[in-house]
Amino acid sequence: MGAFSMIRKLLCCLLLALLAGPAAAAELVVVVSARSPITALRAEQVADIFLSEATRFPDGGEVVALDLPIGSPLRDDFYLKVANRTPALMKAYWTKRIFTGRGQPPRELPSSQAVRKLVADNPTLIGYIDRSALDASVRPVLVVH
Amino acid sequence: MPKLHQTPVLFAVAGALFVPPAAHAGHAVGQDGNWTFGGFGTLSAVHSGEKQADYAANPLNPGEAGATRDWSYAVDSRLGTQLTYNNGGHWSAVLQVVAERHLTHSWTPKVEWANVQYQVSPELSLRVGRIALPLFLSGDYRKASYALTSVRTPVELYSSLPISNSDGIDASYRWNAGAVKNTTQVLFGGTSVPLSDVTRVKAHKLAGISNTSTAGALTVRATAIEGELETPLLQELFSAIRQFGPQGEVLARRYEPDRKRATVLSIGASYDPGEWFVMGEIGRVNARSMLGDKTAGYVSGGYRLGSFTPYTTFSKVVANTPNRVAGLDLSTLPPPYAPAARRLNMELNGLLSMIAEQDSTSLGLRWDAASNAAVKLQFDHVRPRSGTSGTLSNIQPGYRYGRSFGVFSASVDFVF
Repeated sequence: MGAFSMIRKLLCCLLLALLAGPAAAAELVVVVSARSPITALRAEQVADIFLSEATRFPDGGEVVALDLPIGSPLRDDFYLKVANRTPALMKAYWTKRIFTGRGQPPRELPSSQAVRKLVADNPTLIGYIDRSALDASVRPVLVVH
Repeated sequence: MPKLHQTPVLFAVAGALFVPPAAHAGHAVGQDGNWTFGGFGTLSAVHSGEKQADYAANPLNPGEAGATRDWSYAVDSRLGTQLTYNNGGHWSAVLQVVAERHLTHSWTPKVEWANVQYQVSPELSLRVGRIALPLFLSGDYRKASYALTSVRTPVELYSSLPISNSDGIDASYRWNAGAVKNTTQVLFGGTSVPLSDVTRVKAHKLAGISNTSTAGALTVRATAIEGELETPLLQELFSAIRQFGPQGEVLARRYEPDRKRATVLSIGASYDPGEWFVMGEIGRVNARSMLGDKTAGYVSGGYRLGSFTPYTTFSKVVANTPNRVAGLDLSTLPPPYAPAARRLNMELNGLLSMIAEQDSTSLGLRWDAASNAAVKLQFDHVRPRSGTSGTLSNIQPGYRYGRSFGVFSASVDFVF
């Protein structure tokens, strides 16, 4: 069916274009394991998970966030776009949480590749990575523009 | 009698210290135990224009700005360290030690929190030990000033109830109602705070409930706490007043601070979409004694311009009971007793004039100078009202009531 494959190609291109976003901006994708039942999350849901405000996926499964190192441009961009918080506001946020004994920030991993590797192996994990690090072992659930 | 209130603390300290450290990292996430060490601190210098009294942020941590020193480092300066252990499963323990200036003029570090937490489920956690009191919007973390935009929490509200922790148990439950996320906390405990080397004020049967709701950029917290205060102060004054028969008994019962039920009710909200913020809070602290029945609140707002945040606050406290009473009725007394009764009335009114009525306007600038340090400059115009000395302490003989004054503060807050 020529028409069908045409539409599929078109959709593929569209999805790629969506994932790619504007060429100049940093390209961030939020990923879960390819084995996870989660297919899409809203930015607010992702923010809640990374800020320890939510400890479960919308389907009720437990979730643990993985972070990139403090000072990495990808991390600063992620929190600015998803949680509307500058690095200083994030620091203040975690100061409140840590020094009330109410939690610790997500575990940090050195790179997008390291995050992808851990997330791929464990459906309870969620991370954000550079789009260029994306492969079939993980599923993008949110594209951050 | 053994110090029962310290039992949960000792238990928790022991728990925090003797839980064996787990194997080194390298396992899958959440499988191994880990220790975290961190801390916070503030170095501040405060200058007050009122030279006949001292400006303080909190009656339990007296500052010395004004009468004692031209520039005081004691108002806000402190150092806190925190050790956390998480066994990688349901158990965690936290030990926080804070050094700041106390009423006993020392800077000896004190255990601020020491508790063991059991996470029953992602929603429900239980803690035992010394726990932060969920007072007011910023009550739990006010000592980590880096987390505050301003130099200190508004003194009119926060110094109305200066205690910051309780020894006992608490339970905290998270729940969602549509898009609104809630955390409800209930606690039961007690506390003991030294007022001098020999006197302590104690709170027994502290029971409280607090609910924090967030929806987008909006956070609302409401708290109700009640406890019985044991304040063995001024016993001579009140037994002297009792010598004057039934009217003395009524007066003593009304104003003596010991064995009184104290209630705190507060509600606060903050809206912080990122580029700017506004917050406001109102609370009532009723000690049912000469310590007062006060209502206090503030509104504050700021705008974030890169690493600079200019902010402003208006804050106010009023007394819900008179700051001056007639006291013992001299006309019914035999004339020889009148001078003694008059002296007691003066003494009682002197105490009532220390129930703060005050408002202040603050302007400040926060500069996030480094990734873990903030520099703050703040000016407060403080106005003690209604013939009271406001939140001032160490009142000198030459103090003039009703005089407003300025306070300048410069501080550096850091976390590590």
